Amino acid sequence: MSNEPILELRDVAVDFSGFRAINGLNLQVAKGELRCLIGPNGAGKTTALDVICGKVRARAGRITLMGQDITRLPEYKIARRGVGRKFQVPSVFRELTVRDNLEVAYCKRLGVFANVRRLGRSAERNDLEKLAELVGLEDVLDERAGYLSHGQTQWLEIALLLAQDSGIILLDEPTAGMTAQETMHTAKIVNALKGRHTLLVVEHDMAFVREISDIITVMHQGRVLAEGSASEIQGDPAVREAYLGQRGIAHA
Amino acid sequence: MISQRQTTHRLAAYAVFCVVILLVPLFVSDAYLLNKFARYIVFGILSLALSLSWGYAGILNLGQAVSFGLGSYCMAMALKLRTIPIQTGAGGLPDFMVWNNVHTLPWFWEPFHSYAFTLFAGLAVPAVIAFLIGWFIFRARVSGVYVAIITLAMLVVINLVIIDQQRYTGGFNGITDLTTFKLFGVEFGAYSVATYYLAAVILTLLLFLGLALMNSKTGLILQAIRDDETRVRYFGYDVANYQNFIFCVSAAVAGLAGMLYTLVMEFASPTFLAVPISLSIVIWCAVGGRASLLGAALGAIVVTGVQGSLSDSKTFLDTWMLIMGALFIVVVLFLPNGLISIGDVIRGRRQRRRRAAPARMPEHAEIAAPGRSAAR
Repeated sequence: MSNEPILELRDVAVDFSGFRAINGLNLQVAKGELRCLIGPNGAGKTTALDVICGKVRARAGRITLMGQDITRLPEYKIARRGVGRKFQVPSVFRELTVRDNLEVAYCKRLGVFANVRRLGRSAERNDLEKLAELVGLEDVLDERAGYLSHGQTQWLEIALLLAQDSGIILLDEPTAGMTAQETMHTAKIVNALKGRHTLLVVEHDMAFVREISDIITVMHQGRVLAEGSASEIQGDPAVREAYLGQRGIAHA
Repeated sequence: MISQRQTTHRLAAYAVFCVVILLVPLFVSDAYLLNKFARYIVFGILSLALSLSWGYAGILNLGQAVSFGLGSYCMAMALKLRTIPIQTGAGGLPDFMVWNNVHTLPWFWEPFHSYAFTLFAGLAVPAVIAFLIGWFIFRARVSGVYVAIITLAMLVVINLVIIDQQRYTGGFNGITDLTTFKLFGVEFGAYSVATYYLAAVILTLLLFLGLALMNSKTGLILQAIRDDETRVRYFGYDVANYQNFIFCVSAAVAGLAGMLYTLVMEFASPTFLAVPISLSIVIWCAVGGRASLLGAALGAIVVTGVQGSLSDSKTFLDTWMLIMGALFIVVVLFLPNGLISIGDVIRGRRQRRRRAAPARMPEHAEIAAPGRSAAR
């Protein structure tokens, strides 16, 4: 693993009409690394992913991807440079079949006119079917995605990311609403992605985080509070205070 | 496997429809009736155009009549310039220009001496205007109901300009008193079989071309944009480009319908690009099934056909509007995906009944229940 960061956030700040969601965030992710972002509610984890993939704009600071500035690029250009994103709320194309969903995600050619000529559009059919098998959706390939169960929808989303095959994958709570067994299966897939892809995962489930992560970054009030291995993080007094403080408020 | 069978069914349905419309002249010899049918088919093309943008890409264009009207005016201008000199005033100048004290043919009328240019312009003018409007709308990420509002406003503006520029456009009267369109030695008179066939063949071609387009990857991405425009962006597609592409294609098809409409009606009028017709297209699409090209075309033919026969008959002279209204309500309530989805709805009912008998895994029941299956 090289130490040169593939993704770097420097003093990034994001405002939502006055509310500072992220404030001076510094983050470096190395190529092939799996980084977990944790933190209490409202710490700015999801916003951090949003600002990387261009969903929200940074008010200040700089985001670089492989040394190139992507701070002001529109979403689709950031995606073209190899950033894939899974959202917290599963968002698949509900009116399309599972197969067509994967077909859309398989985006080697992006232009309107290049794609008009692609009538058969199934040159990569076998690849996509293999992908569906990997996440256990091979029996529902021709079902409309809107009819999938919640678990299946989550799998489909992960399959979409695999089809997209981005260098950097941003996962927002990939195990939300999953059973313990499904969570472990997800951990297996995520672990398999490590190395070839760089992953940035926002997650609440500590068991899952321990299962997958090398380094954990703890966020609090829009900035990085601590960084380190799972055991280091758990022993950190500042982290404890942040979580306890929140619990104190929640119990008040 | 399911999709394979569905594809075959769909192709068969399209083929049957096309054969039927192509066979009509064998059974209808009355020229007046044939002209009426040709009109319905032109409306079918117009409705298909909206289905491309609204049904497949979720862009509700309430200004579709702009494209339709401009296509119609292009054709009318060419035919007007060829009208025999007695009616056209001095030096081949269109009569209404003479009445409005215009002494020389305006520059933008000149190229319409050529049919080749006219046919090109009938497609390109609507497409270019759509491109310009679309560029602003889609770059700014305007979507949903706001697209409808902007396009509707555009329609009103262009309509007013055409009415206002009477010297060049014939104003309220439009462009009337046209010669007969003639191409490759065939005369396309309004009441001729040739014109009917022209419209029917064009509709047939468009149905299959449209189907091919929507089955290409671009078509797939457009449908994905309809479902979740934001998500598509994160796969690296430039959504605005895709939207503008289908917006322009839809406009060009509507322009083609407009050109045909001039042949069928023998005039062009600002009512062709007025609000009522624009709203009618939406109704045709919705009644027939907006997410199906065949459904949209069929919807236009059925609605205008029923409208025509009801308003012509003495019995329904006072009540035909009421009956049409009731028809729309019934369709919207019971067939949210339009008339074309009747088959799906019946099949879905039968399946649900079959599945209700033996208890099966809940997961499968969920997959099979087609609550609101969109006809594609």
